[in-house]
Amino acid sequence: MRALPQGGFPPQSGEPFRCDATAWAMLPLLFFNPHHSLLGSAGARLAEAQAGDGSVSIARDHTKAYWPTALSVLAWSHSPVHASHSHRGVQFLLGAAGRHWKKEPDAPTQHDPSIPGWSWIADTHSWVEPTVLAMCALRSSGLAQHQRVSDGVRLLMDRQLPSGGWNYGNTRVFGTELHPAPESTGAALQALAGLVPYNEIKMSIDYLRGEVDRVRTPIGLGWGLLGLGAWGEAPKGSNDLIHQTLGRQERYGPYDTSSLALLLLPLVASRGILEAYNQHSAM
Amino acid sequence: MANVDRMTDQGNDGWTRREFLYALAGGILLASGVSAGQWYFRPRLQSETFVAKMNEYGGNLSGLMVEGFRELGVIPEEIRGKRILLKPNLVETSRGAPHINTHPLVLRGAIEAFLRLGAARVMVAEGPGHRRDTLAVYEESGLADVLTEDRIRFHDLNYITGYELPNAGRQSSLRTLTFPALFKEVDWIVSVAKLKTHHWTGATLSMKNLFGVMPGIYYGWPKNVLHHVGIENSILDINATLKPQFAIVDGIVGMEGDGPIMGDPKKAGVVVMGRNLVAVDATCCRIMGIDPNKISYLERADNWLGPITEGAIEQRGEAIATVRTNFNLIDAIPAQQGIRLI
Repeated sequence: MRALPQGGFPPQSGEPFRCDATAWAMLPLLFFNPHHSLLGSAGARLAEAQAGDGSVSIARDHTKAYWPTALSVLAWSHSPVHASHSHRGVQFLLGAAGRHWKKEPDAPTQHDPSIPGWSWIADTHSWVEPTVLAMCALRSSGLAQHQRVSDGVRLLMDRQLPSGGWNYGNTRVFGTELHPAPESTGAALQALAGLVPYNEIKMSIDYLRGEVDRVRTPIGLGWGLLGLGAWGEAPKGSNDLIHQTLGRQERYGPYDTSSLALLLLPLVASRGILEAYNQHSAM
Repeated sequence: MANVDRMTDQGNDGWTRREFLYALAGGILLASGVSAGQWYFRPRLQSETFVAKMNEYGGNLSGLMVEGFRELGVIPEEIRGKRILLKPNLVETSRGAPHINTHPLVLRGAIEAFLRLGAARVMVAEGPGHRRDTLAVYEESGLADVLTEDRIRFHDLNYITGYELPNAGRQSSLRTLTFPALFKEVDWIVSVAKLKTHHWTGATLSMKNLFGVMPGIYYGWPKNVLHHVGIENSILDINATLKPQFAIVDGIVGMEGDGPIMGDPKKAGVVVMGRNLVAVDATCCRIMGIDPNKISYLERADNWLGPITEGAIEQRGEAIATVRTNFNLIDAIPAQQGIRLI
């Protein structure tokens, strides 16, 4: 077990606490057993790391790297003890937007930079995965109808590649379409589930189905299965794929905590994270 | 950078032995009638680069690199017992486009060469800028098979907790730069880059390759913090602060046109090496038929982080003229306009 005696999780055994590892580790635990004994102390450790403005950054001396805030809100969701922390995290997310600007007609990049989303780091542009995480955090907090979620949908649809799939967030540069990536595609499909018609993302589903057949990395397969699962498209034998990927640690050594948690998530959230939250709420 | 005695750092408040000797020599020259203008415009920085022909990845790359070390004065006593970190260029992968990344066999050649010179440990480390899934890039580039077979450890720099250093370059607004804590445990950092054109900077070589050492957890994916404060500024800041010891550029098959990802493969059949990254990159530009004076970050680095003028770079191995092959430049890309070496 990697859990730290004083609460929370490190990126790897023997390393100190880190917010991102802790929040990711809490998610499969939460869906596996919401009363798991580690959740309370881990949630408390995350709460200690929360800044006065509600953000949770990667380290106290790197406050601009606030991307773990959305993960923390997801980890605190449905924990009455941490409701105030979750609320402050949500308020921070609602006020945070990546740097955006009006699109110039001769811009070398294709996407519309004026759509507000979320960035990894303060004062930088909005990208796919931090927008996904923030949208999921807001949706899990009952804010699915909020304008910021609608803006997130617009951003993700604008960043979908013409041939299907998503990458980190650029579509065309100097007229050339860029390549998609399984992890970005799975993440975007997870955030968009239930918010856009199927036919608008069908090409991306098709792309991801093909990738999941061959991807055996924790981040790629984890997000891939969550994205497909959220649309009811998870392949048969998903659990076998996860076990195969777990087995590859014999070759590469132990996966870091965040990657491991992401890989395990589809085992307990086979129809995606948001559906798992819904089921959790109904219990 | 290596060879600190060759370098004059901005804000340097003391005289190195070499500067003292230059000043002494200057005084003698002035006394002998050499004009102040001639003295002022002297090439202050000198360096050497080694260029070797290699037409295929199956060749004897470790032998080539050992020869390069010898030509460049890298002696076993300098490497023995040292911990060497090789930083390849792994941007992303696409089936059928291996020319995006440093070829795994170039890494193998470098590993073997450093071990032959007595390195205590060689490791490979990268933090891809576009993909969160580093393991996927590591595998699909073919590097995982090579390093697993060679029992060489790979480190994912994107997720390693970092440590801050004051920004020694002071070109961007960043007051500090955060590097992976792993760097405290190594003696040499070697940029093992790819010979490519680039749609934002004109060319991406050993200096630009160091964007990949900046952890994604602090700089994002892509390393957007560095874009917002200026790509050229950031290249200079990272190099001035990190001071990498050596560069090796894989130009056996490079990339031309819309690099660093969507360009076309270009067979140049060379490997370029050197202690000074600025000089190595200037040499690479000339091989690609690009004027290094037209590459903004190189022009700004000249006579600060290293030399770019041809006369200040002593060429070992092949002459540039014998290996020059013009890389395709795209007129519609501003960074590639007007940079052709005449």
